[in-house]
Amino acid sequence: MGTETIYMEDAFKHRQANQELGKLFTSWGYLPVETPVFDFFDIYQDFIPVEKDIYRLIDREGDLLMLRSDITLFLAKQMGLSLKDNDLPVRVCYSGTILRHQNREDISKNEFFQTGVELIGKADLNADMEILMLLHSTFKNLEIEPIVHIGSRKLLNAATIDFNAKDQKKIISMISYREFENLEIILKEKLDKKRVQFLISLFQFSGNREELKQLITQSNSLISNEEKDALDELNTIMDNLSKLESEDGFIIDLSEVGNQPYYTGIVFQGYIEGVDSAIVSGGRYNNLLGEFGFKTPSVGFSLLLRKIESKLGKKFSLPEHETVNEPDFIKSHKKAEKIRKDGRIAIL
Amino acid sequence: MKQNNSEPLTLALPKGRLLDNVSKFFKQKGLDFSFDNRKLVSFDKSGNLKIFLVKNSDLPTYVNHGIAGLGICGSDVLYESGYKFFNLMTFDFGSTAMCIAGKKGYKPSGEERKLSVATKFTKFTSDYFHKKGIPVEIIKLNGSVELAPVLGLTPYIVDLVETGNTLLANNLEVLEKLEDIKVHLIANPAYYKLHYKSIIKIVNILKEN
Repeated sequence: MGTETIYMEDAFKHRQANQELGKLFTSWGYLPVETPVFDFFDIYQDFIPVEKDIYRLIDREGDLLMLRSDITLFLAKQMGLSLKDNDLPVRVCYSGTILRHQNREDISKNEFFQTGVELIGKADLNADMEILMLLHSTFKNLEIEPIVHIGSRKLLNAATIDFNAKDQKKIISMISYREFENLEIILKEKLDKKRVQFLISLFQFSGNREELKQLITQSNSLISNEEKDALDELNTIMDNLSKLESEDGFIIDLSEVGNQPYYTGIVFQGYIEGVDSAIVSGGRYNNLLGEFGFKTPSVGFSLLLRKIESKLGKKFSLPEHETVNEPDFIKSHKKAEKIRKDGRIAIL
Repeated sequence: MKQNNSEPLTLALPKGRLLDNVSKFFKQKGLDFSFDNRKLVSFDKSGNLKIFLVKNSDLPTYVNHGIAGLGICGSDVLYESGYKFFNLMTFDFGSTAMCIAGKKGYKPSGEERKLSVATKFTKFTSDYFHKKGIPVEIIKLNGSVELAPVLGLTPYIVDLVETGNTLLANNLEVLEKLEDIKVHLIANPAYYKLHYKSIIKIVNILKEN
């Protein structure tokens, strides 16, 4: 696994879950890709949220390299270099180890294994819906019931149009960590009081479909067209999820503005009872591949599989086994083979 | 929605000085709680909060791991932990200041090229001076930091100063206030996302006048 050892039953569970997801993704037409384990650091530098968390090394020529810290990022570069217009849309899935620095006294976050999908080359809401429904099926197949909080980086970008990139980065962090007192101070530098109050209440909003509709009606006179577009998008998504009877696992949460700098549209994170941080994150990023040479929109999610393995349904656990203990090896072997034919486990 | 409203929210409180302030404040808001002799777990009167008593410096660890979803803690301890939390509320009580102090009238001789500081707050101290570009030598102590200049371990200390009485008694003085320290109600981010409705209710009760 690269950074940790998983033993026997746990490794079995991990592999089962990974295989289950592989099958599911394939049935939706997502084909596997493998990305390099290390690459040149400077290519990715601008897209890394916390540089300190990256493992860097120097190759024999003196170039700075980095170990894979986020598969989406490495994948975007590969795709950006190799895709052509007539390949689109492309559906890919991946599963592999990532390496990020974790406190040596605290290696419990289990952020070592990413499994995910990307739908490349489609910019419409149907593509966003496809990814959300694939996520919904992923949870069903894993027999878990997380809650996915959906927000919009598009909304954030529209709301902070008057701010430079540095301040916007600060604003994103303040909203993500609910530091609304600090947010008020920074917003006041450029915006009038009424607008500041509105934005603070906007980014504190979380609720279901009806509550979102209410918010949209109430804020009609206060928001820009771009902000309205972003909210309408979320509204359509919730309507669609409701029509598909899948809205139970989703809520709108406008403090979700994306944990990676490359997001541009919807963003989401999933949480499950008893796990101390988000288990899945994803969203739309329309400019990332362009940075690597081929401009095309993309949307996807990435699941931190190790975090949820203790929550997985029974079908992922090691089945009961039978010990065959005849005095004669020939007899034992024959008996064991019979048991195995029935799909059970036999140990000599 | 899978918000579970029957389960009480979990809250970690620090043992020691701050606890009296917190329990008084909670009592005013109708959230009375008390701990039986030597017990470390208790419920508030309404049954909405399950409260753990933990060592001050361990509190961020418990909340980071989601063992307690919420916690009340000074920004000094939060900073040292290095973890990121949601900050839901800042309290009026328990405010103090992180200061650099030294012997009264101490004049550094010209030969001293670097700042030598004894402190419990090594992360804060190194980050603070690092940001200012001032080279600093830090010696970690676990308590009675005022002794360091008195005994000649280091000429300076970085420590919390409330009244300044301890400094005075040891013939030390504050050279500069480095940062205000406040007490916060924090939440584990994932815990907040799963329980935000009940958490907002509690925060509103605490914020009521």
